[in-house]
Amino acid sequence: MSDNPRMAHPDTAAAERAHLIEHAIEPQLSERLARVRDRIVARFDDLEVAGFRGELTLVAEPGRIVDLLRFCRDDPELRCELLADLSWVHWPGGVHRRIAQETTGWPIYEEVVEQGRIELDYVLYSVTHNHRLRARVYLPDEEPEIASVTDLYASANMMEREAFDMVGVRFTGHPNLVRVLMPDDWEGHPHRKDYPLGGVDVQYKGAVVPPPDQRQY
Amino acid sequence: MGLETRLPSGILLTSVEKFVNWSRAGSLWPATFGLACCAIEMMSTGAAHYDLARFGMEVFRASPRQSDLMIVAGRVSQKMAPVVRNIYDQMADPKWVIAMGVCASTGGMFNNYAIVQGVDHIVPVDMYVPGCPPRPEMLMDGIVKLHEKIRNEQFVERPRKGESMEDFRRRTGWADPVPADESQISSASPGGAGR
Amino acid sequence: MSDTTRPRNELEPRHEYTVVSGEWQDLPEAVPDDLMIINMGPQHPSTHGVLRMVLTLDGETVVDNQPVIGYLHTGIEKNAEYRPWVHGVTFVTRMDYLSPLFNELGYCLAVERLLGIVDDVPERAQAIRVIMTELNRISSHLVWLATTGMELGAISAMIYGFREREAILDIFEFVTGLRMNHAYIRPGGLQADVPEDFADRVRVVLADMPKRIGEYEDLLGENPIWLERNVGVGVLSVEECLDLAVTGPVLRSAGVAHDLRKAAPYCGIEQYDFAIPTADTCDAYGRYLIRLAEMRESLGIVEQALDSLPTGPVMIADKKIAWPAQLGLGPDGLGNTKAYVDKIMGQSMEALIHHFKLVTEGFVVPRGQVYTAIESPRGELGYHVTSDGTNKPYRVRVRDPSFIHIGTLPRLTRGLLISDVIAAVASIDPVMGGVDR
Repeated sequence: MSDNPRMAHPDTAAAERAHLIEHAIEPQLSERLARVRDRIVARFDDLEVAGFRGELTLVAEPGRIVDLLRFCRDDPELRCELLADLSWVHWPGGVHRRIAQETTGWPIYEEVVEQGRIELDYVLYSVTHNHRLRARVYLPDEEPEIASVTDLYASANMMEREAFDMVGVRFTGHPNLVRVLMPDDWEGHPHRKDYPLGGVDVQYKGAVVPPPDQRQY
Repeated sequence: MGLETRLPSGILLTSVEKFVNWSRAGSLWPATFGLACCAIEMMSTGAAHYDLARFGMEVFRASPRQSDLMIVAGRVSQKMAPVVRNIYDQMADPKWVIAMGVCASTGGMFNNYAIVQGVDHIVPVDMYVPGCPPRPEMLMDGIVKLHEKIRNEQFVERPRKGESMEDFRRRTGWADPVPADESQISSASPGGAGR
Repeated sequence: MSDTTRPRNELEPRHEYTVVSGEWQDLPEAVPDDLMIINMGPQHPSTHGVLRMVLTLDGETVVDNQPVIGYLHTGIEKNAEYRPWVHGVTFVTRMDYLSPLFNELGYCLAVERLLGIVDDVPERAQAIRVIMTELNRISSHLVWLATTGMELGAISAMIYGFREREAILDIFEFVTGLRMNHAYIRPGGLQADVPEDFADRVRVVLADMPKRIGEYEDLLGENPIWLERNVGVGVLSVEECLDLAVTGPVLRSAGVAHDLRKAAPYCGIEQYDFAIPTADTCDAYGRYLIRLAEMRESLGIVEQALDSLPTGPVMIADKKIAWPAQLGLGPDGLGNTKAYVDKIMGQSMEALIHHFKLVTEGFVVPRGQVYTAIESPRGELGYHVTSDGTNKPYRVRVRDPSFIHIGTLPRLTRGLLISDVIAAVASIDPVMGGVDR
């Protein structure tokens, strides 16, 4: 496993982010991906690079994401024609519990994160060169905003709408940023970790089973 | 609802009832209301292998105004709930609802913010068919039981065998309020015959 | 690449006319007629599920088409965060309900990559996974053919498609116990081994299917009505496809021979010999031809996999991950064998604790994030799974191809008649369970 920080170092932002990024456990990317990485890092020198299970991840500042995606799309060696996916993960501020399972004893590790972050992952795929890479940005928890990439990739239209709907990220420059999955007048962003699952108690013949977010395991 | 509201009151209607119920059950037209996985099983039930046409139901009407039965097949999300109610309201009396699958009956495995926990929060349901998704034979079983229920419907509430008039009045809602003089009680059937 | 300066979501700009007196009679011809905004769906016999399209029409021609989705949003991704890893299979299987085994396979491949056990999954499990998913591809394309035929008016196609599908569902029921939503593919392998006459029964279906696919080709292929309704309808050029992240048969109908089974093979599928059908017409008819050809190719893959089916276990050996435990047929059905129960109850305390923790909490996945994509009948089905080191997923994001393809609707249906809209949407083959998740 990566170095297990039982207590985070809340001083520096880099250290705070470091334990949220998985470290390069298997640093050997394939040759093709290593070339891709070198080419991108040569052009953008303020990226953090990580690799996990053979995948290339580039962490960029939110202001640079449009340039990075444009470079990946237009550069002839990279030619990432498809924005395959725009994913998000909400890492809220507070205590994160990590449970390590042993057969005897139940060690529980806790990490304290000062400020919550929303991680956005743009998965780019090249059909011509058959390589895939991930561009990641971290946005602050409250009022997250980032530039939209609908001018570069039309597929980002629906994906950014869904990101707005589910975690509340505002994409500036998006032509039509409204909710896509929830009803238009819904309040709250369901995929945030502080949004409850919202189940009801299940009652049958006198026994009550609590909804899944209140169960023991 | 339907024929019952137009009948003059107090006439014995046994054979008419039987005939009308038989014709209603024999040719029940479902509205196409397939939502999710149960819709595929509903289509399979209507297809050639498990044939719904032998129950008079092969005509899945697209327009709710022409259909009698709404088979809510699939999970009903919060966004879809007003649409379900809208379609139900557009159907003409007499109408029945089958909640097909556990998601329509109780919310199923999706006990969360997005799914209405049972379509009976929105429309009155006559038959609940469990399963995820229910096999075509299970759906047909539910439909056949619904046919039996339709055939046993009564236009006018009558006391059941061995039931006293006291119990009858209490069951059908005649018991209260008791009017001052007997002339106030008309011989018309209490509201909502057969319900 | 596409022209990035052109606004994507706006109507064509209207012209402005200045009129001085005396020229009023020219105005009605110069100004385009009022546009009409019509709502199609969500309850509609022909929109392939609970899809709502708000059409802006000029007469009967579509000027703009805004799809409204979310009528089937189930919160599956959020639900999976509250269940152990192995329970996630039962949730994701119900997303794209026409191809449940693909959903399970994608999820299990992502979990296996996170666990780092991709090479430890037994070969028999991989081969059976390939067989079951390719059979699922055939049944999904059959439902596509059935519903498309019904929506375009060829109602017999509905009956024939579902008739063929029953044969495949019989096999699924024989193996997994369920006709749909099987929860058969688990992280680490399969839930249980296939029964003994599995190969014979599949071969019966394999022998029967090519003839039936030939029947569809005879009925529909050269049918003038089918040609009229499908040729030239729903055209998406290569640039538009790539710009809109379209994959699967729709991208292949634009001439790009891109299939994730060849580009990034999984489950040992590279050992089977199959072709990737493409068309260069970019229209609905090309997609129809591609899907029929894919059905034939899948039959070939299943046959090769059956011929070379290896023996061995179907779940990985690591007992910390493999679940369910030793299965056997008992008096009350399939469950733990009596010998195993005696062992854990009587002999070994560690086995009891281990079994208890494994069943109640499930295995623990190391921290990390992967993106795994497979080729589902509709396109690239991707799973972006994040783990924080516990026994529950931290985030399961599903990149469903139908969701992306719904974004193509404005571009796809611009300038078409309403009946062509139905044909175009049917050729994209969106499954609303996958769109809304």
